[in-house]
Amino acid sequence: MIIKYLPFLISILLATPLYSAPLTPDEDLSQSDIMRLGEQMYRNGVLPSGEYMPAYIRGDTEVDSGAFSCSSCHLRAGLGSYEGGVVTPPTTGRKLYEPYRRPPSLGDTVDQTGRYIYAKTVQERPSYNRTTLASALRFGVDPVGQKFNDVMPRYPLSDRDMTILIRYLEFLSHEPSPGASSSEFRFATIITDDVSPEERKALLNPLQNFMDRKNQQLALYNDYIKFGYIPTAEMKYAFRKASLDIWDLKGDPSTWRKQLENYNAAKPVFAILGGISNQNWKPVHDFCESERIPSLFPITDFPVVSDTSWYTYYFNKGYAQEGEGAAKYLNRLIEDADTKTVLQVVQDSEVARALASGFENSWKEMERSPIKSIKLTAGELADNKTLNKILSSRRTSVLLLWADAETLPQLKKTLSRLKGRKIIFMSSGYLGKKAADISDEVRKNIYLTWPYRLTPYIGPQTGQFDARVPIVTSVKDFGESRITSRTVAMLLQAALQGLNKIYDNLYRDHFMDVMSMQMDLTVRDYERLSFGPGQRYVSKGCYIIQLGHGKNPELIPRSEWVIQ
Amino acid sequence: MKISELNQIICCIFFAAVFMFLNSSEALAESRSYKRSVEKYNIPDISLVNQNGKKVRLRSLLYGETPVVVDFIYGTCTTICPVLSAGFVNLQRNIDTKGGSVRLVSITIDPENDTPKVMKEYLKRFRAKPGWDFLTGSRADIDTVMKAFNAYIPDKMQHYPLNIIRNPKDNSWVRLFGIMSSKEFMEEFQAVAGKHKK
Ligand code: HEC
Repeated sequence: MIIKYLPFLISILLATPLYSAPLTPDEDLSQSDIMRLGEQMYRNGVLPSGEYMPAYIRGDTEVDSGAFSCSSCHLRAGLGSYEGGVVTPPTTGRKLYEPYRRPPSLGDTVDQTGRYIYAKTVQERPSYNRTTLASALRFGVDPVGQKFNDVMPRYPLSDRDMTILIRYLEFLSHEPSPGASSSEFRFATIITDDVSPEERKALLNPLQNFMDRKNQQLALYNDYIKFGYIPTAEMKYAFRKASLDIWDLKGDPSTWRKQLENYNAAKPVFAILGGISNQNWKPVHDFCESERIPSLFPITDFPVVSDTSWYTYYFNKGYAQEGEGAAKYLNRLIEDADTKTVLQVVQDSEVARALASGFENSWKEMERSPIKSIKLTAGELADNKTLNKILSSRRTSVLLLWADAETLPQLKKTLSRLKGRKIIFMSSGYLGKKAADISDEVRKNIYLTWPYRLTPYIGPQTGQFDARVPIVTSVKDFGESRITSRTVAMLLQAALQGLNKIYDNLYRDHFMDVMSMQMDLTVRDYERLSFGPGQRYVSKGCYIIQLGHGKNPELIPRSEWVIQ
Repeated sequence: MKISELNQIICCIFFAAVFMFLNSSEALAESRSYKRSVEKYNIPDISLVNQNGKKVRLRSLLYGETPVVVDFIYGTCTTICPVLSAGFVNLQRNIDTKGGSVRLVSITIDPENDTPKVMKEYLKRFRAKPGWDFLTGSRADIDTVMKAFNAYIPDKMQHYPLNIIRNPKDNSWVRLFGIMSSKEFMEEFQAVAGKHKK
């Protein structure tokens, strides 16, 4: 028995110098050093020495924390998570230095399917202090000696490293974020000056409705309270006053940041709900990232595509997602030897560049050899001479034609210059409704990227109280901006769920954590929205479709929603 | 020696003792923290995509001479997947040192997000050695596989810890529900694979 745990015990004894200082602030480290080093341990599992933190599961399963860290389970804000029937409790100083009662969990009892208990958590405990907290992390016992379950690893840290980590936990989610209180949420939405009055209305109507309804519910709820109704804890936090400011951005995008800073300084908000721009969203994205303000589902075709950004949720990657869809489809279609016969033509526009970058990033990610890409102006594309010349000088079987509908009259000629497969990929979003002009005779050679729902959606169009009608998409929906339906989806499903579930933990980071732990959603515009820690583009799909015959052609899927 | 230092030593020894006691009493009581059963499964003849972006026939991956361990995880999972995958790493390491071979197969329950790139990075983070594959595919195919293993999870946020070991001798599967220690996992594996001496 002792042999079995020997490695663990030795590492603990070695890591616990007998002459170590008590758990008080280190003299040689500044507060900001401690926060930086602590955050590195908490989020990345890296010790101040640069080594990975050692961790043990069930006594003998050793793992280093490069694979997962505290934040993998307790999440970034430290308020814990609930997943797979396991309650991961909060690990912030505020919560730890107070007595605690866990919410009940699936793991507490054998569930109805007779599933075995595997992660029963400690139900109730008194407050920790720094010493008992260190023991909890090293040995997995609470202040009165109750042993933690097998999910929580044991961390044999040195006293110095332990001090840093504990100081970080004390700081974590300590001060509530601006823009929220027990009685009110303040929000803003962002509109840039290129947006038409109709688009503006399409965005603001559902947002305003949402605020009105929240405030109306609150009034109703207050009436109930007057009549002696005693609310559950959950209800208490579901009803809060809500206000919405409109942050209009004017002029050159390089000036947006200053404007945003001014708005936020005058009246800080808890989160930004929706928003709309026809220009690149990057300046707003960067502002939210550096100010750590959650920004939920702006309507934009030009989001920032990043694996590491944290604060903005997007529906998808915009035009880049269409380019990605083409890449994934083509990946299954052609062998490496044939990549030389693929040509990408990129119109000199922001849309085409976004499509091309989506294609190229995805192509590279799949470790395929690069393909030839050329840039042409709208003029060059319209008269077709330049493109014809290029095509006659090389063997092209697949053409990625990231160009607008002006090129459609030339398609037949272009196609005649292709050899072998004779396939042209184009973007449904970029072509818009004019895609219906693609002549019947070439439709069998044209593949379109389509990042929206195809299967009928049974449900309210606006998410409100309308009749339930199935929605089937058609070419008429190409280029549709879907502002209201998407804003409603954001509000009613995503934002509301998240806001209700943060209870009295008014931290923006916690809100982002809660949003990321949602179950999948079915909405009008996309086949499926899915979440997960760090996932920020919730619709992952893009069909490759072809057009059937006639004026209102059938949209024929040639791929899965998500192509692997 | 100051009082506080003495306190710390006592504290440390005390907790070490508590720790050993808790673990040994548990072992003595023979109370396994996981549930074990032996099952037969009919594996569908479908192809999935591995971390290198290659299509693989599931049957040819699972039906071999080597014992196979299957689990269901996803790349951005909290709580359970890290623990399951830590179990895989340790099993791989233990089998490596003790001799013998195993094929580890993780199947995603988040096929939309788990692209080959995500899966490759996941394996790298866990320091997986060759012989551990991570598979994704169409949602329909993934659902089919989950159902075939009686492990259908309608939503990934509701999943649970499961390891399934295939015995190549009689094509039976040992289904292990819950979280095992490395020692328990190794023992379960050896019960299927036999003890190797190499
Ligand atoms: C694999 C998931 C996981 C990881 C990684 C993890 N924890 Fe935990 N932690 C848990 C679970 C689950 C519990 C609840 C255990 C119980 O009650 O039986 C827990 C309990 C705790 C507790 C006790 C809370 C209380 O109220 O008693 C603290 C403190 C804690 N963890 C801190 C940390 C820190 C700090 C790290 C990183 C160094 C960490 N945890 C890493 C899952 C995890």
